[in-house]
Amino acid sequence: MATSYASDIKPIWCPGCGDYGVHAALNKALIDLGIDKSKIMIVGGIGCSSAMPHTFSTYAIHGIHGRVLPIAMGVKLANDELTVIGVGGDGDGYGIGGNHFVHTARRNLDITYIVMDNQIYGLTTGQASPTTLIGTKTKSTPFGDIEEPINPISVAISAGATYVARGFSGDPMHLAELIKNGILHKGFAVIDALSPCVTFNALNTYDWFRQRVYKLDASYKAEDKANALQKAIETETTNWQKIPLGLIYKENRPTYNELDITLKQGSLIKQPLPTKDQVRSLLDGYA
Amino acid sequence: MSEVVIRVAGANGDGIESSGMLLLKIAARSGRYVFGYRSYQSVIKGGHVWYQIRIADEKLYSHGSDIDILVALNQDAITYQLKHVKEGGIVIYDPSRTTISGAPQGTKLIGIPLLDIATKVSGDPIMRNTVALGAVLRLAGIDIAVADELINETFSKKSQQIADQNIKAAAEGYNFAGVERTFNIKNDSRRRYVLDGNTALSVGAYAAGCKFYAAYPMTPASGILHWFASHENLGVVFKQTEDEITAINATIGAASAGVRAMCGTSGGGFSLMVEGLGLAGMIEVPIVVVEAERTGPSTGLPTKTEQADLLFVNHAAQGEFPRIVVAPRSAEESFKIASEAFNLAEMYQCPVIILSDLYMAEHIEGVEEIDADGVKVERGRVQAEATNDGRFDRYKITDDGISPRSIPGTPGLEFVAASDEHNEYGDLISDVFAGIDEYVEKRKRMHEKRMRKIDTMLKNEDLFKPELEGGQADYFFVTFGSATMPAKEAVKLLSNEGLRFGIISFSYLLPIDAEKTLKILNGKKLIDVEYNFTGQLAQHIKSATGINIEKRILKYDGEAFTPKEIAEQAKLIANGW
Repeated sequence: MATSYASDIKPIWCPGCGDYGVHAALNKALIDLGIDKSKIMIVGGIGCSSAMPHTFSTYAIHGIHGRVLPIAMGVKLANDELTVIGVGGDGDGYGIGGNHFVHTARRNLDITYIVMDNQIYGLTTGQASPTTLIGTKTKSTPFGDIEEPINPISVAISAGATYVARGFSGDPMHLAELIKNGILHKGFAVIDALSPCVTFNALNTYDWFRQRVYKLDASYKAEDKANALQKAIETETTNWQKIPLGLIYKENRPTYNELDITLKQGSLIKQPLPTKDQVRSLLDGYA
Repeated sequence: MSEVVIRVAGANGDGIESSGMLLLKIAARSGRYVFGYRSYQSVIKGGHVWYQIRIADEKLYSHGSDIDILVALNQDAITYQLKHVKEGGIVIYDPSRTTISGAPQGTKLIGIPLLDIATKVSGDPIMRNTVALGAVLRLAGIDIAVADELINETFSKKSQQIADQNIKAAAEGYNFAGVERTFNIKNDSRRRYVLDGNTALSVGAYAAGCKFYAAYPMTPASGILHWFASHENLGVVFKQTEDEITAINATIGAASAGVRAMCGTSGGGFSLMVEGLGLAGMIEVPIVVVEAERTGPSTGLPTKTEQADLLFVNHAAQGEFPRIVVAPRSAEESFKIASEAFNLAEMYQCPVIILSDLYMAEHIEGVEEIDADGVKVERGRVQAEATNDGRFDRYKITDDGISPRSIPGTPGLEFVAASDEHNEYGDLISDVFAGIDEYVEKRKRMHEKRMRKIDTMLKNEDLFKPELEGGQADYFFVTFGSATMPAKEAVKLLSNEGLRFGIISFSYLLPIDAEKTLKILNGKKLIDVEYNFTGQLAQHIKSATGINIEKRILKYDGEAFTPKEIAEQAKLIANGW
């Protein structure tokens, strides 16, 4: 079993960046699970957090902005035996990649998607993101943001994701558990990881989160969808005074690969190429 | 050559498409060459559509020019199509539904109560197609027994009763038509496949081991989507995606994971795929992308043809990277090119774009030879296992520009495929290293490595140059892709008039072997024939060879070239030379 899945590559993140905590949490989850590193594919988009694939020594694709989930889907459909993990930021996943987020959720592909949510565009030096709170002044909203932020938890549940959780990079051990269980979950697992940007987001700081986050206790029923949606919108109903952490929704539903007529037969990459006879008999149908 | 051109005209929803396909199959199975083309509109019911079926005793490359037999299923068909009927041609119509006036002298009008017969035989008005089909078979001199056989094969899947009713309907039409004017087209006993371009391409890809196809519905590429969707039980995965961005990126994901993968669309969808195309170029993932052009710009004419995306696909995406662009010149060639495309993509680890168009995608061709046995699968430089304990240098700098690739799941060969500029291990050099002398040099060497693959491709002696036919001719058409087909037939028409035309046609367009291409074109009287306003092939040739083809026959009205119109324009050009 590997003692670490981290590579020797130094992350590009600022000192104190929330993404370090997420990196540690993912590394711990992988160590706990002990998956052969050659059987792991980590797909990133573009942005600070999307550079995370380089910091692991597994197979990885550092793709293009917003397209984490389409690439991850292609990998998972081609080789079901790989553990596929998507990583990226809130701009990547909920902004430019928003369409893919919704559709990947309803497909219930067996992919774990970790979104490092810092409520700002960091690598482009501080513009508003889809999760920036109303009133926040950023380089692109100098008079304060006037758009309602996306609620990734309620969107994910509504769209059909079957494991929806929120973690906090300030509590990497808790986050690691959420990621580990997300990987173990058969289906699309979304983990919104609150990951403060210490350089461009002066509002949503570690302290700001620590005053507001709380962990769901054992009495919380994650399998009840109506209840989960109610919990998902607690951020809005309390005007961001209470932010629940933990597994908010979980459902057991067949995955895409379990339902697809071809993939039911096994991993696509292991299925044989057509023989000449098969091609000829196919052609005969056109004579 | 003896031939008959039949045009069945009516409205969308009349069932013209399936009876047209049936007629093509009957004619092909009875030992004739066939060619079909469907003209339709972007509406589901109503409107004006026609299906043209050409039957001959020689290989055909066009749906033909003027009509020998018009089957008019409604009044619009007479209004719009009567003028296209040849002198002395035949019109089949239903006197209970349509009236004809103003037919040219000598036109033979055959009134058949199509609707009454259909209703009598089956109660289903759609079967008037089959009644007309029977009449056409009689006039075209085709044995009705073959029709019975094919009707049975086609309809007995639905129910034997429907099959029997159709056989009866065809027989009624056959008997009604009389025999005063028949076409006598020689037949042989050779077997022919009846394939449209999309189907031929799909089967070629399948034969080459394509296991993954992703697409968003878009005319005229949807035929490929339908093929893969309906053949999912053959061990392929078809994924309909939320947009074309997803289609290409999922294809990149699947290809990265090691399966042969393809996506397809038309120009509008390809516009969305452009960023992904660059990703494939940068991380050197072998993908095949089909771009079936239609009339642009923007939504344009969704059901009409054009070749105005050549320069777009040649240059699409920011930055520079090697790519292969190839445009099949027939359905038959579509099979071959699709099966070759995956080898090329994997050998050179780059995107291959198959540039088709509506006419190529949707025309139907009688194909004698499909070389299924000749399909070879060459997966290129794949490293199967780790050879040392060090990190795998996926992007190793090599003389031919091609680096070893590993398939995820292989222990010891892990790497990151990065869209950022990277070193030989895939580590990005765009961050704290960018601009540092050592890394300035690394970027330069990595970019040169990728671009060197173009030189490596051009070592292939056969592919990247045009094909010359009729070397002794006085004039030469210059074409690519689908325009090659009607131009080939125009060559025949011109030769009947004593004009010696040859043809220089491109399937592989990029990269282009400038030296060989120049040698083929040099010193000849050239006429560029293509479906666009600006002569994009001519521009491409000029930029590669310096040869400026001034004489051009360009078409951008959405309709397919007829051999006759090319020949007529060519004659004017030749006479004025």
